[in-house]
Amino acid sequence: MTLAATDPEDITAVTEEGTATAAPPARAHWFRRLLRDRAAALALFTLTLIILGALFAPLLAPFDPASNSRSIMTPPAWSSMGEPQHLLGTDGQGRDILSRLLYGTRLTLLIGFVAVGIGGAIGSLIGLLSAFYARLDPWVMRGVDVLLSFPAILLGLALVAVMGQGITPVIIALAVSSVPDCARIARGIAVGVMKQEFIEAGRAVGLSDLALFNRYLLRNCISSIMIFISLRFGQVVLIGATLSFLGLGARPPAAELGMMASQGREFLLFAPHIAVIPSVLIFVIVLSANVAGDALRDVLDPRLQA
Amino acid sequence: MLRTIIDRLLLSIPVLLGVLLFGFLLLQLVPGDPARVVAGPTATPEIVAQIRQEMGLDRPVLVQFWAYLERMAQGDMGRSMISNKTVTSELGAAVGPTVELMLASLVWSVPIGIAMGTAAAVLRGSLADRVVMGLSVAGVSLPIFFISLLLIQYLGVVWPIFPFIGRPGPWYTPEGFMALFLPALSLGLILIGPVARMTRSSVLEVLKLDHVRTARAKGLSEIRVVLKHGLRNALIPVITLIGLQAGYLLGGAVVTETIFSWPGLGRLVVGAILSSDFTVAQGAVLLFALGFITINLIIDILYSILDPRVRK
Repeated sequence: MTLAATDPEDITAVTEEGTATAAPPARAHWFRRLLRDRAAALALFTLTLIILGALFAPLLAPFDPASNSRSIMTPPAWSSMGEPQHLLGTDGQGRDILSRLLYGTRLTLLIGFVAVGIGGAIGSLIGLLSAFYARLDPWVMRGVDVLLSFPAILLGLALVAVMGQGITPVIIALAVSSVPDCARIARGIAVGVMKQEFIEAGRAVGLSDLALFNRYLLRNCISSIMIFISLRFGQVVLIGATLSFLGLGARPPAAELGMMASQGREFLLFAPHIAVIPSVLIFVIVLSANVAGDALRDVLDPRLQA
Repeated sequence: MLRTIIDRLLLSIPVLLGVLLFGFLLLQLVPGDPARVVAGPTATPEIVAQIRQEMGLDRPVLVQFWAYLERMAQGDMGRSMISNKTVTSELGAAVGPTVELMLASLVWSVPIGIAMGTAAAVLRGSLADRVVMGLSVAGVSLPIFFISLLLIQYLGVVWPIFPFIGRPGPWYTPEGFMALFLPALSLGLILIGPVARMTRSSVLEVLKLDHVRTARAKGLSEIRVVLKHGLRNALIPVITLIGLQAGYLLGGAVVTETIFSWPGLGRLVVGAILSSDFTVAQGAVLLFALGFITINLIIDILYSILDPRVRK
C-alpha cells in the first residue's frame, strides 16, 4: 500500500474500513442480540413507552397538571370510591395524578438526560485528552480521583446550599458527579484505539494533533463511549428524583416524580396511592434503564462486566 | 507496608485541601451579603459593617482563606445562623446518631449480601443465581424513600410494631433499639444488592484460580473449597468495594434520616439548607466529605494489610 502518496482524506477512508473489518463480526448485530435477551427486550420496550408518554405529555394528559379540582384524594378509578375521569385518582390538592405523572416523568427524564449529556460530554473529553496526551494522563486521572471522592448527593446538597433549591443546581451536581466515571470509561476506550496502527500512520503523514484527535481518535471511540455513558442514566435519574424528594430539586407547582412522592407522604395513611404511584414509576424507569444497560454491556463488551 | 500507608496519607492531603477550599468557596458564593444575613433584616448599616469586620469579610479573599484554615484547624466553624449554637456542637450532637444508623444497617445487610453473592456464584447460571441477580438489580433501582415509606406503612401503621419517628435514645436502650429498627432496615436494604453483586463476581473470579483447583484435587468438600479457599480470598476486593459504596450509604442516610426524623447529620444538612443556615450546611457538608475521605483512607490501608500483593 502506498500510504505516503495518498492524501489524509483517503487514509481516513482506508482506516475506517480497516477498523470495520477488524471489529468482531458480532458487533454488527448487537441490537438483535440484545433483543434476544427477554428481560432486556421488555426493559427497552417499557422505557420506550415511558419516554413516548413523557414526550407527548401535553397531548395525552387529560387535565392541566397544576389545576385543582373539587375532588381531593380520590383513589384510582378501579377502586369503589374512584371517579372515572381521574384514572389514577387525584392528589392532596385535587390535581389529576395521571396528568401530573406524565408531566412529572417528562421533567424527571429531562433532568437525567441533560445531566448525563453534559457530564458525559465533559467527562469523555477529559478521558479522550488524557489518552491522547500521555503526559497529561497521571495528572488528569489524579484529578478525576479527587472528584470521585464527592458523592453525588453531597455535591447536590452543597450546590443547592449555594444556589438555592431548583433544577439547575441538581442538574449541575448530577453532571459533575458523572464526569469522573465518564472520563474513566472514555479513557479506557481511547487508550485501546491509540494503540492501533492507523494512529501512527496518521502521525507519519504529518497530520496535526487536532485532525488526528478529531478524525482518528474521536470517530473511532464516540459510539462505544456514548453507549457506556448511557449506562449511567438509571442512577442519575434515581439520585435526581431523590434530591427532589428531599425538597432540594424541582419546586412546586412543577410536577416531578420525586417531589410528587414526597408530597404524598403526608397522606400515606389514608391515600397511599398519591405517594406510591410516582415511586413505582421511578422504580420502573430506573429498573428498565439498569436492566437494558446491563444487557447492552454484556452484549457489547463482556470484559466490562462489574 | 508503612511506606504504603504514608504514601496514602500524603495523597489525601491535596484532597483534603480541595475539600476545604470547596467549603470556603461555598460560603463565598452564597447569594447576598453573609454579614447582612447574620445581622438580620432590621439591622442598621453600622451594625452590618461591624459584623462584616468581625467576620473578617472586609479583608482580601486569600487572607480570609488562610484565616478560615486556621479556624478550621482549631475546630471553629462559626455559629448557626438560626439557633446561634456553635456549628461544632450542632455537628457533634448529630454524628453519633448517623454513625449508629450506618453501622446498624451494615451489620445485617453485608453478611446477607455476601451470603447471597456467594450462593449465586457457586450456583452460577441456576435459577437461584438469576433470582439473586434480579433482586440485586431491583435493589439498586429502588428509590430508598419508597422502601422507607413502605416500611412505615406496613410495619409502623398497618401493623404498628415499630416506631418510625425520631430517636428516643441510643441503641442499647430498649426504646432506642426499637426506633433504630426501621431506619436501619431501609438503609440496609439498598446495600444488599451491590454487596451481593460484588461478592458474586469476586467469588467467580477466585474460583477460577489455580489454588482452588488444587484444593478440589486434594479432595476437599465443595463447601470447604468455596468457603475457605474461595470466599476468604474473594472478600478482599469486596471490602474495598464496600468502602466505595460509602458515598451511596451516605446519600441513603440523608434520605432515611429525613424520612424517619432521625437526628443525624443528614437531617441536619437538609434542614440547614432548607432554612438557609449556611454555616451549619457548610459544616455538615465538610464533615460528610471528611468522613468519606477517611473511610476510603482506612479501606485502602486495610486493603494493603489484607492483600500481600499490594505491599511494595
